[in-house]
Amino acid sequence: MPQNRTIVDDNTWEELIELTHGAAAVCFQCGVCTASCPWGLVKEETLSVRSYMRSAQLGLQKNGNDNLWLCTTCAQCEAYCPRDVNIADVFRGLRYLTWKQNQPHEGLPTLLWSVYWNNNPWEQPPSQRTQWAKNLNLPIFDSQQHDILYYVGCTASYDTRAQKVAHAVVALLNAAGVSFGTLGEDEPCSGEEVLSVGHKHYFREMAEDATKAFQEAGVTQLVTTDPHSYDAFKNHYQGAIKPKHYTQYFAELLEEGKLKFSQSLDRPITFHDPCYLSRHNGEIEAPRKLLNAIPGVDLVEMPNIAEDTLCCGGGGGRMWLETEAGERFSDLRVEEALTTGAQILATSCPYCIACLEDSVKARVIKDLVVMDVAEIAALAI
Amino acid sequence: MDKFHIVVCIKVVPKPEEIAVDKETMLLIRDGVRSEINPPDMNAIEMALKLKDKYGGKISILSMGPPFFADYLRVPLAMGADHIYLMSDRNFGGADTLATTYTLAEGIRKIGDVDMVICGEESSDGATGQVPAGLAEWLGINQLTQMDEVDIDLRGKVARGKREIAGGHISLEVPFPVVVSAKTASNEPRFMDYTIKPWAFEEGRITVWGAEDVEVEDDHIGLPGSPTIVSGLEQAPERARKRQFLEGSPEEIADQLGKILVQAL
Ligand SMILES: Cc1cc2nc3c(=O)[nH]c(=O)nc-3n(C[C@H](O)[C@H](O)[C@H](O)COP(=O)(O)OP(=O)(O)OC[C@H]3O[C@@H](n4cnc5c(N)ncnc54)[C@H](O)[C@@H]3O)c2cc1C
Ligand code: SF4
Ligand code: SF4
Repeated sequence: MPQNRTIVDDNTWEELIELTHGAAAVCFQCGVCTASCPWGLVKEETLSVRSYMRSAQLGLQKNGNDNLWLCTTCAQCEAYCPRDVNIADVFRGLRYLTWKQNQPHEGLPTLLWSVYWNNNPWEQPPSQRTQWAKNLNLPIFDSQQHDILYYVGCTASYDTRAQKVAHAVVALLNAAGVSFGTLGEDEPCSGEEVLSVGHKHYFREMAEDATKAFQEAGVTQLVTTDPHSYDAFKNHYQGAIKPKHYTQYFAELLEEGKLKFSQSLDRPITFHDPCYLSRHNGEIEAPRKLLNAIPGVDLVEMPNIAEDTLCCGGGGGRMWLETEAGERFSDLRVEEALTTGAQILATSCPYCIACLEDSVKARVIKDLVVMDVAEIAALAI
Repeated sequence: MDKFHIVVCIKVVPKPEEIAVDKETMLLIRDGVRSEINPPDMNAIEMALKLKDKYGGKISILSMGPPFFADYLRVPLAMGADHIYLMSDRNFGGADTLATTYTLAEGIRKIGDVDMVICGEESSDGATGQVPAGLAEWLGINQLTQMDEVDIDLRGKVARGKREIAGGHISLEVPFPVVVSAKTASNEPRFMDYTIKPWAFEEGRITVWGAEDVEVEDDHIGLPGSPTIVSGLEQAPERARKRQFLEGSPEEIADQLGKILVQAL
């Protein structure tokens, strides 16, 4: 089929409306989304977001267009869209159509199979999900005994860098005297990566199964390491689970006086808002409350913060796709962090950490370290 | 010629990190162990589906193993296969490659009108890699082993295969019917089609055959039909990973890595 051919058919149109809850219908083609999309900062020819919205309105599907997979679902465009279009959802809907036609981006079927066989996207054995905590003796969650479930998540369970964040979260939970458990090897994958690459039907099935598993374990409240699982539970699990991101939970404990920081940290710190905390869920205060509560911390902000944060480039399934050198948003972000004079670039998402750290390494920046807010807070207890 | 008919042979294996062997019987312990479809067999399924996408026809899935295999066989059904056959009987148990290939070959004969059989390159548990060749011998047909790609010519009734080798590739052409083994990782298996998955997992039919249902000689199947005796098995000592992280610029890291590799040689 020629590359630029488009298909119009009523079925596609109807399906898209259903998949996206008609999100694109109200778009009036102003193009603000295209102008605000961060791809414009790194690509000569940016991602034409507007034209994808048009395709979705008409039930048109562009074939052979890998740009569909560029969207990091960062929602920068949504913040500016005068019509409140749920643009990321439209991209996910368009992506689902490619799954249906067996034409998804190369490498993504392997991602889904890993989730299917291993219960994680990292192609790691399910039997090793709790290896990171082998010396911690964490109890299995018991609703009679524990206040909360700590939902570690796949990345913090398997990725050696993110495991350090999970260790810090555990240290903070212990310091605050919280009684908590995990689901151990039986912890279900949240499916956020499946959702982000647009496989809505598989995600729905995963969400149903995970909800059942949580309900059987008597879980109502849980605390997550990563904002992506938090977002999936909060906004895509039909209200069955009440999640908190750890920054939110610890900010509450701080207010209640249960969590206290006694060690001081005399370093200038800047904070990178993860899209899935700030833009998608309006959480801007909690991580800052934590950082500001640490004695000696000097929080110096970057120009693009809060709802205007610059995406690290790792969302929307981009963690599993290659982004060419020179086109990584995180490169711009670490440069921006340097302008503040901060020595620590703090964030609170394992994907952000991976992207930002890669950029710090690739650009051989010696005087900036990337740390998770939990790691910084754990140093202060 | 009727519809081109492919049989894909698949094995369900314990996940590699969970493999344990019963020291007494020298058989794999399957209870309480997570399983998966032998990964190379996923490549075999994809190879068959690609041919079906291109030329139509039908795909039958065949497996020999205990009844619990059935749940796993629904996966290829949800990927686009048409029929599922499971050869399951206590008397088939304990088979070596000779008895396995004999039994599977009888299954293929019973399925009937088969133009192509596709296997994985080797299983992740037994790992002999002998089943594809053994099947071709029992069936008295051609074989194309360790194929990266296959294509068919329906008029000429030939299969053409390509095997990548160091510095080039070998192209082979043989008349139908033929047994093919798909090279591991030669393609990316498609994910299940969610428009068929609910049907595949809830209603899709699986034909189960016991020893009585196929024309097999009792002394050719299972343990009695297996001249191979696994006389000893040893667990390889686990090698702890050093998890050494190199620091520095990409150039410095590459430099250090080069030195480490040279030292290891
Ligand atoms: C540890 C161990 C050691 C063994 N050593 C030997 C030995 O030295 N000699 C010997 O004869 N047997 C041996 N066996 C038994 C052998 O594994 C079985 O006979 C098995 O059924 C077929 O061989 P394989 O697993 O090596 O398959 P392979 O030949 O490696 O598999 C190639 C392909 O054949 C197909 N296939 C294999 N098994 C099946 C099946 N049951 N149903 C459908 N398709 C299938 C799949 O497509 C697979 O990818 C051993 C088994 C174990 C567990
Ligand atoms: S900004 Fe909103 S209304 Fe404007 S083109 Fe984009 S989606 Fe449509
Ligand atoms: S969600 Fe982010 S990456 Fe996707 S189109 Fe909008 S601004 Fe661009």
